[in-house]
Amino acid sequence: MTQPVSPPRDDRTGKVPPAGQAPAWRAVWSRADVRTLSLLGVLAVLVLIGGITKPDQFLDTRNLQLVLTQASVIGVVTVGMTFVITSGGIDLSVGAIVALASVWATTVATQEYGFGGILFTSIAVGVGCGLVNGVLIAYGGMVPFIATLAMLASARGLALQITEGRTQVVTVPSVLDLGERDAYVLGVPPLVLVFGVVTVIGWLLLNRTTFGRRTVAVGGNAEAARLAGIDVRRQRLYLYLLSGLCCGIAAFLLIVLSGSGQNTNGNLYELDAIAAAIIGGTLLTGGRGTIVGSVLGVLIFTTITNIFALNNLQSDVQQIAKGAIIVAAVLVQRRTASTT
Amino acid sequence: MPEHMPFASRRGLLFGAAAVSAGAFLTGCTSNESSDKDEPAANDQPAADDKPGKPVTIGFAGPQADHGWLNAINDNAKKRAEKYSDVTLEITEGSNDTAQQIGQIETLINKKVDVLVILPADGKALTQVGLKAMRAGIPVINLDRIFNSPQAYRCWIGGDNYGMGLNAGHYIGEKLKDKKNARVIELAGLDNLELTKQRTQGFDDALKNYPNIKKVARQAAEFTVESGQAKMAQLLQAQPEFDALWNHDDDQGVGALRAIEQAGRDDFLMVGGAGALSAFQAIKADNGVLKATVLYPPTMAASAIDLARALGQSKGVGGLAEYEIPASITLYSAVVDKTNVDQYMSTGFK
Amino acid sequence: MAPEPPLLSMSGITKSFPGVRALDGVDLDVQAGEVHCLLGQNGAGKSTLIKVLAGAHQPDTGTIRWRGEEVTLRSPIAAMRLGIATIYQELDLVEHMSVAENVHLGHEPTAAGFVVRGRAAREATAGLLKRLGHPEIDPARLVGELSAAQQQIVSMARALSHDVRLIVMDEPSAALDPDEVDNLFRIVGDLTADGVAVVYISHRLEEIRRIGDRVTVLKDGRAVAVGLPAKSTPTREVVSLMTGRNVEYVFPERPSSAPETAPVLTVEKLSRQGEFEPLDLQVRAGEIVGLAGLVGSGRSEILETVYGARRPDTGRVLVDGKPLKPGSVRAAVRAGVGLAPEERKAQALLMLESVTRNVSVSSMSRFSRAGWIDRGAELGAARAATRELSLRPDNPDVPVRTLSGGNQQKAVLARWLLRGCRVLLLDEPTRGVDVGARAELYAVVRRLADEGLAVLLVSSEVPEVLGLADRVLVLREGRVVHTAPARELDEHRVLDLVMEGSPAS
Repeated sequence: MTQPVSPPRDDRTGKVPPAGQAPAWRAVWSRADVRTLSLLGVLAVLVLIGGITKPDQFLDTRNLQLVLTQASVIGVVTVGMTFVITSGGIDLSVGAIVALASVWATTVATQEYGFGGILFTSIAVGVGCGLVNGVLIAYGGMVPFIATLAMLASARGLALQITEGRTQVVTVPSVLDLGERDAYVLGVPPLVLVFGVVTVIGWLLLNRTTFGRRTVAVGGNAEAARLAGIDVRRQRLYLYLLSGLCCGIAAFLLIVLSGSGQNTNGNLYELDAIAAAIIGGTLLTGGRGTIVGSVLGVLIFTTITNIFALNNLQSDVQQIAKGAIIVAAVLVQRRTASTT
Repeated sequence: MPEHMPFASRRGLLFGAAAVSAGAFLTGCTSNESSDKDEPAANDQPAADDKPGKPVTIGFAGPQADHGWLNAINDNAKKRAEKYSDVTLEITEGSNDTAQQIGQIETLINKKVDVLVILPADGKALTQVGLKAMRAGIPVINLDRIFNSPQAYRCWIGGDNYGMGLNAGHYIGEKLKDKKNARVIELAGLDNLELTKQRTQGFDDALKNYPNIKKVARQAAEFTVESGQAKMAQLLQAQPEFDALWNHDDDQGVGALRAIEQAGRDDFLMVGGAGALSAFQAIKADNGVLKATVLYPPTMAASAIDLARALGQSKGVGGLAEYEIPASITLYSAVVDKTNVDQYMSTGFK
Repeated sequence: MAPEPPLLSMSGITKSFPGVRALDGVDLDVQAGEVHCLLGQNGAGKSTLIKVLAGAHQPDTGTIRWRGEEVTLRSPIAAMRLGIATIYQELDLVEHMSVAENVHLGHEPTAAGFVVRGRAAREATAGLLKRLGHPEIDPARLVGELSAAQQQIVSMARALSHDVRLIVMDEPSAALDPDEVDNLFRIVGDLTADGVAVVYISHRLEEIRRIGDRVTVLKDGRAVAVGLPAKSTPTREVVSLMTGRNVEYVFPERPSSAPETAPVLTVEKLSRQGEFEPLDLQVRAGEIVGLAGLVGSGRSEILETVYGARRPDTGRVLVDGKPLKPGSVRAAVRAGVGLAPEERKAQALLMLESVTRNVSVSSMSRFSRAGWIDRGAELGAARAATRELSLRPDNPDVPVRTLSGGNQQKAVLARWLLRGCRVLLLDEPTRGVDVGARAELYAVVRRLADEGLAVLLVSSEVPEVLGLADRVLVLREGRVVHTAPARELDEHRVLDLVMEGSPAS
């Protein structure tokens, strides 16, 4: 018998043990800590490599600003993706939604409405696409993989139709200025600021709200969540809406960053975002998600790209390294999952 | 043409001829009839001209126009065909899917068009359907992306990727030839494309002529604004000082220029590639780092229509002595800078 | 019996799962050419035993001899190679493959070692199907298009496609019509005539009498009788063997008289086609009503329909006199109904999460304002609820998956306790719960009833229903065949009712 009948405890009226002292509590949390620490360790190693190979260029405020800026667009997308994956779903359409939102928001007609028009259109298109995804998946009973794959194809197609393959250059000065050095707030680029705010809100949403709990419950065991009285379908709808919203925000950031809208924008974002989330420790099967891990995953990828570029290594090497890191991270994750 | 190369081969000669005729098409396309055109060939064979002749149906199949340059290809073909009252253009919906493009071309073969102009999404994969058309007696003008076998086309016309790099290298070399220890960087296009390797090879070969110049960095973007911005930003961080930059593609150049602007850098000279309108305008305005761009002219599609029409009417090409149109025409990658930008402005694609 | 060693001889087989000892020193021997019946209540260890025999489970201790030689069945393939085939109750066929492909799955006839010879497979399959009396099944059809009975035939054809010496059939007649059962028995007769041994599991005593040679009875993971003559052992003796207990459960005392309150839960004419017939029942506050019946009698389906997880074809469910929106779990939960489902891990628990989060999941709005969770209040409430049920360990931060079966069940109960529900639906509440921990769980359920909950209990363990419930409804094939206060029933009578529909002679 592995489970003897518990003897009645004599300290039933005793004081509640402070949460931090219970060894089991430690067991739960140290696992998450170990994962986060290992990611920070990887990042530290990368910083070390960058610092040794290119001390002047790498260890430089401008480079920090650069890395964080480059991480912002995909970072915002990854926060949304983390929610979707945590719920046991997948959103393959993020890159295409970013593309569609960015071109829609930079058409001549939209640009006439200035800053507000571009911002509003980016977000509205993102949310709109997310709504379609959500309705198809939650109420149409479509598999997320298929529904978002369909969205990927149609959003890219629509983006191409709008641009006819042309690059739509932004002429609204207030939008362009946001991507310039003058707009930095205490040395922090506005893009990075947005990324930071999205990360914090995402973390709070996932870890401190009923929305986050429902997301985890749906991903951990959808049937159990349903039988516990959670409206699983509505939750799924909200999740794809959220992912679409993040894509809309990212599209605006990309417009600011590149000063243009193009139908090729957001190329393969879906893979980058999924990879960052998985490396971060979010379970592809759902039920566990970590915003901090996802953001660290994004930063690791961006830092690698940065180090490679600074050392003038070519894209083939970069791709190989990226693939190797994904495999290694997932293997490590499996090991930690099986040993605890 | 500002930078003349020693023409060492027969291919080189063709270059020159094509450059002349391309120039002719260009001017023909835009404004007044060029005087080149009025010069009769040195013999009495009929050369293609603007006079209406035997009606020709041309089938045109290209890839999806997801890039400014490809879009310009379609535009050039359509506009050129509209110009001739004797040409009917059957243009397919552009597709990047090999199977779909094969299907479209087979449909055109079944419709028994007189001549086919094909810009394959993938040259190797579409060789068979090119052969099929040729065997069916429909001559094929292979545009830019070349088929595997010369039997699959009657005439190939396309850009010169190697020459593009070569001319960019020579332009930069001449500008920097008096500068000691000059440093040059390269922002390449998609690295897994053969054409990117050819462009880089040409660029490197040209720079070998200038021992004072060293290429210190190269990063590959993806022909997109987004990737151009990202890679350029990294390059600028990596290289605090350099004298010249060659960017393979004007589309990604929009992003590269954005990164340069964001970094507040203006201490170098930049040469672009392809020939986008935005690049021409920047060159003309001469208020930034972009001083020149090397052409990869989308007008080749217009020339392809001309060649197709000539084939359909069994004529040769004006300006050449032969009875037949050439089997292969490689376009010259002219360098456009402030001195000649006005001439090219109308060919710039958006 | 022949002097030669038995075809199969298992001795001293034990197998434990976390929290449960499923098999505790079981012996079984099977002779070539006999039909050996395996009897036992749900949870007695039958399915674990046949999984050991099929190579799907590895026994913790014990030996298996095949024709006198000791063997280890490391995998289903190893068992199959020896000539042991198993036809599971839940058929393990690939629906999207054809009949022939299923029959030859894993041992396709090939040319040059890898080219599947589809025609040869189809012809061989057609031969097997003919032998099984079902020549009308087209070997090229997809298995998913076949009826349940036909799928069973396919499963049997698959067994016969190997050189099979022993076939295990797990309740093969459950899904069959009477004439299909006759065909099944004919097949069994043919097989045994060829010297093939059949291990036959069924709840239906009359079937065992018709085709069985010997009977082994399992109870609580032990073989309480080995090799009884199937045709002559009196029914009463078999039932006694199945029900007699070594461990006497301690059930809490019932209140002396049934409470005379208005019913909290009322079910009116509730039915689902093919699952259960129109059902009426009422549960009062403080009352525990039990549904007794075998697997397939419609018990779980009734509970899930009451809960709104299945949409009823007819009838309605009322809580405190107000009808619930049919087919809506959320409506049921809002009205104060809670379900502790049969498959706790699959249907109730978030296995990656802590006890706290498992307990609070249905009452999150209570600890949150505008979606913002007050984690202190949540932890406090979860702690209070789990303490009230004496959940061990007394620390709601541990992951729920580290808990024993009984404590996991308490976590589910704590969820509904915290929610403040009025009606508790319990589906096999002690499934996977250690025998020793059951008494505590029974006490918890009774206490919850005493505090005013209406409890509807489903169990295939008759003593559990009789010991815990105030009133018992006996189900047989989706129909209530008897209703009586629990104290007026005994285990024999209930077993007679659920197995044969009427009291045995």
